[in-house]
Amino acid sequence: MTRAETLSIALPALVVLALIIAPLGLDPYGYTLRILCLMLLFCAMGQAWNIVGGLANQISLGHAAYFGIGAYSSTILFGSFGLSPLIGVFVGMALAALFALVLSLPTLRLKGHYFALATLAAGEVARVVANSWTSLTGGPVGISVPYRPDAGFWALQFQTVLPNYYLFLGAMVLVSLVFWRVQTSAFGYRLRAIKENETAAEVIGVNTYRVKLHASLLSAVLTAMLGTLYAQFQFFFDPDTIFGVATISVKMALIVILGGAGRLYGPWIGAAVIIPLEEMANSYLGNSIAGLSQFAYGVLLIVVILLNPRGLISLFESLRDRLKRRQRA
Amino acid sequence: MSGQLLEVRNVTRRFGGLVANSNVAFTVAPGEIVGLIGPNGAGKTTLFNVLVGIYPPSSGEVIFDGKSIGGMKPHQIAKAGLTKTFQNVALFAETSVLDNVVTGGLVNRSLTDARRFAAECLERVGIGAIAGKKAGDLSFPERARVEVARALCTSPKLLLLDEVMAALTPAEMEEIIELVRSLRDEGMTFIVVEHHMKAVMKLCERLIVLNFGEMIADGTPQEIASNRKVLDAYLGANFTTQGEGH
Repeated sequence: MTRAETLSIALPALVVLALIIAPLGLDPYGYTLRILCLMLLFCAMGQAWNIVGGLANQISLGHAAYFGIGAYSSTILFGSFGLSPLIGVFVGMALAALFALVLSLPTLRLKGHYFALATLAAGEVARVVANSWTSLTGGPVGISVPYRPDAGFWALQFQTVLPNYYLFLGAMVLVSLVFWRVQTSAFGYRLRAIKENETAAEVIGVNTYRVKLHASLLSAVLTAMLGTLYAQFQFFFDPDTIFGVATISVKMALIVILGGAGRLYGPWIGAAVIIPLEEMANSYLGNSIAGLSQFAYGVLLIVVILLNPRGLISLFESLRDRLKRRQRA
Repeated sequence: MSGQLLEVRNVTRRFGGLVANSNVAFTVAPGEIVGLIGPNGAGKTTLFNVLVGIYPPSSGEVIFDGKSIGGMKPHQIAKAGLTKTFQNVALFAETSVLDNVVTGGLVNRSLTDARRFAAECLERVGIGAIAGKKAGDLSFPERARVEVARALCTSPKLLLLDEVMAALTPAEMEEIIELVRSLRDEGMTFIVVEHHMKAVMKLCERLIVLNFGEMIADGTPQEIASNRKVLDAYLGANFTTQGEGH
């Protein structure tokens, strides 16, 4: 193995190891652990978005729809029928795939901004439906996951935050492995070809429509799975947060674009920056100025895209290259 | 008409009121190297785009390898064995040269096989040394070669080359001519759009001339060079076989 190859395996392994050890010194009920949980969850969400948004540059601003479908499916099935979220999660994933399929028929032929706007609208449709279909979702007042600590793992509920943390870490590693598998396969080559030149991709034999559809389905299914985990972690949510444009859809995109779109470690870096930053902003600024963090997202997104559309990871890389060149000189 | 690789039957392509190709009809036999010439705006690139499926024909029919392909998607046509290079160079700019070519190979190969064959294609086109470079960082002549390598990697039966010799030195042109000939000897068929008349006359055994979207001639280079209509429309009265177009 070359030094670069060793490093490319050792580095993420070290990060995961650090993440395994990190919570051991922390209060298992504590605030810091909850923030770390959210960081891992949003990293996984970003990675799911990265499959279609990063590799194929299909900038979806409607992924909250899949996330919310996952959260509502398992929660409603658990609350109404006592069905374990371990089964409910698959129902949510199937429904999200169905939604992605229906959404893809008209939108996959759209390019650039038009695709972004159409997916944004689809996410909003999901939010409006959840708000109005009160008999199913509980409407704007939100929905609670029934508390059954006695049911243990079957109910996917825990006495402390620690099991949640490891669950999220596992999910993050799983989605990252899926992304890596896609990225390094023929599928990944085809997605990158679509990102760079769709017409040329077609002419050399890429079925662009089918490839985009498959990526969208995979991304939707993984996002729905994470929606269930989020519901089991928060115990309560309402349509405006779970289907939120700023709270979910834009945040997923921002995490990836900030870190490095189409790159395995993009969402890792993005989530490690955004989530703590957001928590700090919230605790310092309080809720006195509602929507300030959303405003901050917008500004941050514009700044990143203007200054360095390849994300923070490219800053590290150019720094590394410069150091290498200096060593050689 | 059996035994032809390509039959273009009265193909017309309109864009709104503009007729880019009007009733174009010709055939290409396996192993031919056919030149497609004509002044700028004659509809050469449009015809290529119709043949590979980027635009469906407005009317008429295209038969490739015994199958009607008019209206098929480009990826289906590529899989059937017909692809083209892009005149304005449409490489995956952020991707390495090798990976650009590998993507072409995936049309009918596994990733492992595509990687192996892509390396062969790069060597064949003479750009093995720049396999690791980012396509967007290359010079124009290099990029044109990557275009050729990427198209070759799809293992086409018929390859449409759209001005791959533009901006090449005479020595580089000679290399491309040799490459096309050797590929033809292995059974590949070509239609070539090129403005450099000397190269076209040398490479092609047959020429088709387009003018304002219509086919005005189809014949050997010698016949074309003495064709009155072609001289008026394109080559100009002072054309000699030694001279260069426009």
